[in-house]
Amino acid sequence: MFAAMTPELLQAAAASNQWGAIFPELALGCLALLLLVLEILLPKSAHARIPVVAILGQLVLLAVLLWNFAPTGLERDTFNGLLHHSRDGQFMRAFFLVSSILVCLLGTVALAKQKLPRVEFYHLVLVVTAAMMLLAQSNHFVLLFVALETVTVGFYILVSYFRASPLSLEAGLKYLIMGALSSALLLFGIVLLYGVAGNPALPGHTAEAMNFNALNAFLAANPDNFLAKAGIVLVLAGVAFKIGAFPFQIWIPDVYQGAPTPVTAFLAVASKAAGFAVLLVLTLRAFAPYATLTVPILSVLAAATILFGNIAALTQHNVKRLIGLSGVSHAGFLLIGVVAAVSTPLALGAVYFYLAAYLLATFAVFGVMTHVAGANDAEQELDHYAGLARDNPFLAAVLAVGLGSLAGIPPLAGFMGKLFVFIAAFKAGLYPLLTVAIVGVVISIYYYFGWIKAAFFEAWRAPLQEGEIDDRPARTPVAWPAGVTLGLLALCTVLLGFYQGSFGEWLLTR
Amino acid sequence: MNISLNHYLLLSALLFAIGFFGVLLRKNTLVIYMCLELMLTASTLALVAFSRYNGTMDGNVFVFFILTVAAAEVAVGLAIIVALFRLRQTAQVDELNALKH
Repeated sequence: MFAAMTPELLQAAAASNQWGAIFPELALGCLALLLLVLEILLPKSAHARIPVVAILGQLVLLAVLLWNFAPTGLERDTFNGLLHHSRDGQFMRAFFLVSSILVCLLGTVALAKQKLPRVEFYHLVLVVTAAMMLLAQSNHFVLLFVALETVTVGFYILVSYFRASPLSLEAGLKYLIMGALSSALLLFGIVLLYGVAGNPALPGHTAEAMNFNALNAFLAANPDNFLAKAGIVLVLAGVAFKIGAFPFQIWIPDVYQGAPTPVTAFLAVASKAAGFAVLLVLTLRAFAPYATLTVPILSVLAAATILFGNIAALTQHNVKRLIGLSGVSHAGFLLIGVVAAVSTPLALGAVYFYLAAYLLATFAVFGVMTHVAGANDAEQELDHYAGLARDNPFLAAVLAVGLGSLAGIPPLAGFMGKLFVFIAAFKAGLYPLLTVAIVGVVISIYYYFGWIKAAFFEAWRAPLQEGEIDDRPARTPVAWPAGVTLGLLALCTVLLGFYQGSFGEWLLTR
Repeated sequence: MNISLNHYLLLSALLFAIGFFGVLLRKNTLVIYMCLELMLTASTLALVAFSRYNGTMDGNVFVFFILTVAAAEVAVGLAIIVALFRLRQTAQVDELNALKH
């Protein structure tokens, strides 16, 4: 009944373990451990250099990854079918590494305003990044679940990292409950799929029921199985939590507000992108034979997510809640891309381009938020931005470019991202979704410009009484590494809008 | 009476439902946490039953991964609950609403 463990089988399994293929993940894990060792070995006065080691190490790793971007033997399975390496996987690796570098950089700015242990923050960010890289390349439900849980447990700690602040801990608790709930839904879905795909009574049953390729073959042989449908719906629900799609977005405003600002940026960009990488792998590969089930579900989710995110963001005064809810609507636009990708291959590139533009713009905005924030990290109101253009024109300009790109103003990268997704949706014939999306874009311009207005035009404030303290945080000066990075992010946002060049061509041709 | 696969699945689905509605309806953080663990246990039970009846070992191996993940989740989760209790002196979710709605 069970396959005997013959020496030949063990040899074949060992030969498929190609450790070189997961070099970036291994290197990140080693770098994360190195940081902890350095904290023990170095004297206290040298601890300020540890974040520099983390950032430089990742920059070197990014250079190595880009230098060997298309290694020989791409498009193959390793580790006995646990991982599938593809050029999309390479893109997501670089994406996660860039966002991790930026989060570490924001961490140096934000942690300077708190009295907290520093090194563990960078350690956790690196471990979570390595797990997200594995997640985006997973080809097997066991690896998918373990990598996803590594990311989620890491985020529980990161969200509640400011442990002296009840708001940060409360956000951590809310993320913990909702995250564990969605993981349990996902796990039950995996169990149902495993059970039904291995059932010896059904045609095309498989011994490798958790492998995506084997599952795809089984689903193609059983086009209308109730348990398989239930499993797919549960798995999609678990992933929808990660990306913050409509019925599963309730955690977003609270968690985004309470979490430390760099962690909020990490959640908004990398965690969301990881969810989309998984969703693309699942809908396009594992669940492809059940497109008649997945496409309607995802379409409804997309429309509801866009409308909810944009309408809920209209009334927000806290910028962290505002950017969280605007992120919900971006998840909706990306979902349109995923739906279109089922029938139009072009849409896959559009989704990746949108993610890249979203990364640049979001980190530009979060960079400004980290600098404007005071010691009370959770209370960042719109009126803290009053007079930013006069006090610090550079930060105000970066903010305007970032928000403009998120809103989709023509010459910026965010506009091109939306345009590519809409073209793909048009080619796929998703006209009702396009209508909803355009309504969403129009609504979103209102609150993005409210924020820009707060930064550029001074609203009248009652003059301070004698002895009254200004509750707005003092302006922090911008150190040169953060300044250069923010400038680069804004510049890339503008340039990528005007000229997509070989990057766009590489993404959009397949 | 023979215990068949369906009996195991029914029990597992019941446990999962108890856990799911417990998370949504209960007010004490620790009880909610127990309900979350109950959902993971329900999945584990179904996994072992499927593994036995389908004759593949994958399910049994997966159970060990789930146990490890659940242990990590409990360690982090209880740490957060204890730290929050020290600051706020409460473990009721309806009193933990300092973040704006």
